[in-house]
Amino acid sequence: MTSAAIDLSNVEKTYRGRIRALRGVQMRVEKGEVFGLLGPNGAGKSTLVKILTSVVHPTRCTGTLLDAPIGDKKALARVGYLPENPRFPDYLTGGQVLDLFGALAKIPRAERRRRADDLLATVGMTKWARTKIGRYSKGMRQRIGLAQALMNDPEIVFLDEPTDGVDPVGRREIREMLVRMRDDGRTVMLNSHLLSEAETVCGRVAIMVKGKVVRHGALDDLTRHSRRYEIEAAGPLPSGDHWRSLVHGLGAEVRSLGGAPREASLVVAPTDEPEPIQALLDALRAARAVVRSVRPVRASLEDLFLEAVQSMGEEGAGVGGQKGRDAAGKGAER
Amino acid sequence: MIQTWAIFKESYLHLNSKKLFWVSLIISGLIVLTFGAIGIDEDGMSFLFWDLPFPLNSSWLAPGFFYKFAFAQFGVRLWLTWGATILALVCTAGIIPEFLSGGSIDVTLSKPISRLRLFLTKYAAAMLFVALQVGVFAGASFLVIGLRGGTWEPAILLSIPLVVIFFSYIYAVCVLLGVLTRSTVAALLLTLLIWMGFFAVHLTESALLMFRTQTEQQVQWLRDDVASREATLESARAEPKEGIVNTLRSGFNVNSKEAELTRRREQLADKEESLRAVVAWHTGVVAAKTALPKTSETIGLLERRLIDMADLSGFADDEGGVQMQFDDEDDDLPVPRDDAAVSRAIVEKSRARSVWWIIGTSLIFEAVVVGLAARIFCRRDF
Ligand SMILES: Nc1ncnc2c1ncn2[C@@H]1O[C@H](COP(=O)(O)OP(=O)(O)O)[C@@H](O)[C@H]1O
Ligand SMILES: [Mg+2]
Repeated sequence: MTSAAIDLSNVEKTYRGRIRALRGVQMRVEKGEVFGLLGPNGAGKSTLVKILTSVVHPTRCTGTLLDAPIGDKKALARVGYLPENPRFPDYLTGGQVLDLFGALAKIPRAERRRRADDLLATVGMTKWARTKIGRYSKGMRQRIGLAQALMNDPEIVFLDEPTDGVDPVGRREIREMLVRMRDDGRTVMLNSHLLSEAETVCGRVAIMVKGKVVRHGALDDLTRHSRRYEIEAAGPLPSGDHWRSLVHGLGAEVRSLGGAPREASLVVAPTDEPEPIQALLDALRAARAVVRSVRPVRASLEDLFLEAVQSMGEEGAGVGGQKGRDAAGKGAER
Repeated sequence: MIQTWAIFKESYLHLNSKKLFWVSLIISGLIVLTFGAIGIDEDGMSFLFWDLPFPLNSSWLAPGFFYKFAFAQFGVRLWLTWGATILALVCTAGIIPEFLSGGSIDVTLSKPISRLRLFLTKYAAAMLFVALQVGVFAGASFLVIGLRGGTWEPAILLSIPLVVIFFSYIYAVCVLLGVLTRSTVAALLLTLLIWMGFFAVHLTESALLMFRTQTEQQVQWLRDDVASREATLESARAEPKEGIVNTLRSGFNVNSKEAELTRRREQLADKEESLRAVVAWHTGVVAAKTALPKTSETIGLLERRLIDMADLSGFADDEGGVQMQFDDEDDDLPVPRDDAAVSRAIVEKSRARSVWWIIGTSLIFEAVVVGLAARIFCRRDF
């Protein structure tokens, strides 16, 4: 097994002896993948990333980041980080921010200049490089933040809610940058509570709820059990034993959709292989039903997410009031 | 090294964004120019081309001494230790709290630099800028005193480290409060309050020292007086065969002298009593002061170097011979005191305090306070 970018076996964090933000997190992120760390607000995503970047001291932590123990400052030279809601000093210009954080990552001056120019161009901020941050819009700050995270040519990049408060155009650009980072061979850990984002770019995800990882794995694997084909047909359905045994054999389900002048039906076959459903189609055509559509369907990340949050909520309800708080309990605690 | 420079540069940009840094530098420049514009020669004092109506001239006061004295008293004591320091505090007080509460602390902490180094470098950056300010002022003053006063006094440059050290005591407190409150304004106001506290301790100690020295002197005087009266009475009693007239006259005298001696003995006992009390108080305050930063004395070291005892005593003697003051003018047998001698003794006593006691113990205080602040900073979650 090659070494992982991040390998955590048990991370716990209790803030000020009271707030249990992380309760034994296990997680593995491979090198070169875009990993989605998902979960509702207050789940502990930011806390986990801050522990990895040594911004927060863990209560207990066993694991490695880029083969070094967590908290090792040297390894952080190869890490990029865009925090949640970054605010850079108002008195610095965009260019100065890049230079400052590049220098703190020990990049020599000449290289800093070159990289800053490149990155400013990449995020489309070249024109604004000499303007003070105080005059930037939220989206521009986020872009400078992204550029800053890449100043040290990092092997792994942590992005905490990078698209929060960014307009749709900006979101799309950020998504493109994520793909570019992956193509450059960087490992990316994307924290988000916005699932559509993660769904398009992440290979593997972990879903965190209340300080625990409740789902962890490749998006495909996690959604496999919910894959199915849906066939929509109008007109008379076949009748007879042949049809019944076909439906029964596949474990399919037939629902009436109603409608006029001809009644429509939906046949749902829980399989992700196209072959078994050909027989169903033949039977439908033979009965002169009109096949309107045949669609492969899988559960969205959103379904998965809600399911995870719900299961956690039910589990928590039995344990005590503390855990039983609603999933977005962050506001209540602050 | 790359990192250290980056932090210095960032701090510079921070200070630069506050116009106060430049305001302070400009005021410094104006003060030095004013010094330079004041002239003193045989005919008296002048400002640029106008004569000033002060009864001072160079035959009475050497120009070199005049400029040095003005530099120590006004330049350092007033401007550098109060005006410029308050401005410098206002400028630099924000460095730590704004760093802590600004949104980029997490990015900074995620960089490969230890928290302790980050913290100490920020601290050093503030010192560096104060050094810069004082450096400009002291350098310019050095030139003015050299060109106008005719003495090239390298000791003036001593004000740079001294003022920076002095500032660092106060800044240490400011940084600790900044780490605790994360608010520039709160840190600044509390620091000013604590600084006043240090100053109050200093004033109390000075007052007690004066009272102590005065009482010591009076006790000494009373002891001498009692001894000489005893001797006189002794001899008066021992020689009774001087003749009738003499005996009669001195017989009356002996009685009143004995009464006076008894008064003196009572006065001595009183003074010794109050000396014991004041010594106890003074010792206590000095002990407290030992643990605190000695701001005024640190600056006073400059005066010690710049103006020596000989200059000073010459200055004091001019004020006119030995003049005795009395504790209570209505008393028919008052205890005299020599205020000039007392001041001289106080200056001597202050000057006898070791540099180690003044700076060393203050630096220990500073190290403890900064250490505490650094510890809190290093352990905090952001
Ligand atoms: N500095 C802090 N001090 C105390 N509690 C905190 C701190 N930061 C986060 N928390 C708490 O820890 C929990 C997890 O927060 P966070 O990691 O920000 O979640 P997420 O990023 O998933 O929204 C929340 O209950 C939050 O209130
Ligand atoms: Mg978060």
